[in-house]
Amino acid sequence: MSTLLEKHIVELLQERNEKAISLLYEHYGDTLYGVANKVVRNEELAQDVLQESFVKIWKKSDSYDPTKAKLFTWLFRITRNTAIDKLRSRNTKSDKEIQMDVSDVYNLGVDSIKPELMDVRENLDKIEDKYQVVLEALFFQGMTQQEASDELDIPLGTIKSRLKIGLRELKKIYGSPMLWILVINLIQT
Amino acid sequence: MKDKIKIFLDSDLLEKYLLGTTNAQENLQVERYIAMYPQVRETYDELQENLEAFAKLHAIKTPEGLKQRIIARIKSEHVGRKRFFRYAVAASLATLLFAGASYFFYDQNQSLQEENEMVNNKIQLLEEDMKERLEDVRNQFIVLNNPKTKKYNVNGNKKAKELKAIAYINPVKKLSYINVSKLPNLPENQCFQMWAEVNGKMVNLGVIQEATDKEKLMALPYAEEAVGYITIEPKGGNETPTVENIVANIAY
Repeated sequence: MSTLLEKHIVELLQERNEKAISLLYEHYGDTLYGVANKVVRNEELAQDVLQESFVKIWKKSDSYDPTKAKLFTWLFRITRNTAIDKLRSRNTKSDKEIQMDVSDVYNLGVDSIKPELMDVRENLDKIEDKYQVVLEALFFQGMTQQEASDELDIPLGTIKSRLKIGLRELKKIYGSPMLWILVINLIQT
Repeated sequence: MKDKIKIFLDSDLLEKYLLGTTNAQENLQVERYIAMYPQVRETYDELQENLEAFAKLHAIKTPEGLKQRIIARIKSEHVGRKRFFRYAVAASLATLLFAGASYFFYDQNQSLQEENEMVNNKIQLLEEDMKERLEDVRNQFIVLNNPKTKKYNVNGNKKAKELKAIAYINPVKKLSYINVSKLPNLPENQCFQMWAEVNGKMVNLGVIQEATDKEKLMALPYAEEAVGYITIEPKGGNETPTVENIVANIAY
């Protein structure tokens, strides 16, 4: 979002003003919720993750250094790590039933039905699957390019070129004014 | 130099840093590269933009009420923190108080122990003293009560005509006592002193205090053919008797 808003939020965080959390939720909540859901693949769990992430954000707010990362990058790191920890603690409980539930919920709930997500879905669809997979591996699963190459069984060179193209496509989308309107719509709803 | 940058950018370290999966050492390395090389900084910024854009594509509308739950939770954490500090302050005070009290009690205990030791010593001394006195009284009783005890009246010579004393000697029990009942007045700077010659040796038996010793029997060291003497000596007593000042003698 605008750097001005970012600045304002950071200031509020440093003053330990609770309004910061409200603003963060309004402007990043949906995205972070999406990130959490992408990792844990369960909406209920993703809600827990989001809640815990916000608590961490609040507690660690004095550790945020704007010179080292954009506000979103920092928020993303916390959310993603919280989600991964959550997933790990779930998996160590080795509850297979829950994992089955996870896939059910994921299939029914998130991906298809919600109408307010359709616009974003459309945009995402503009990026071909093969590029998306690489982007996801990199951004959400935190794989290195080498790991993505091993995991997806795609040569490293192909990973690199797909990443490049994927990012270019991405830039096309969020560079277009359409997306801004969409994103703003999404945040205001 | 360019190779170095290329190797770094190819290493995935920057991507790992972006996601926060680097360790502390790697963080330092990446941050150094970002600070030193504009090309790395540019790539990093671009990655951040891409990340945000890509993440936004996956945004999902958060469910109703979640925001309120989160805000409420954070408020309670905030309060919890305040409460924690309050508890911390209270705990610190309590600790301080406890330390103070501990020191006070330790100190008190220490002085009580010292006092206890002193009292014990005193009791022991008293016990010994009492035993001694009891023994003395017993001996006096034996001497006075024994039919074999001989009673001698001792009178002063011309230097102390008023002097009157009674000696009790028991040769069987080998005990002898003397009771000085009357002493003539002496100048301030003089006193009566009691001696005994035992086996050719002169033994100092101490100064006779008229007031306190009137009712008291003084033990005499017993020996065959010992002689007791009373002399006038300078106040405080003398180390050897002044022979010309002998006022009475008791041969027993």
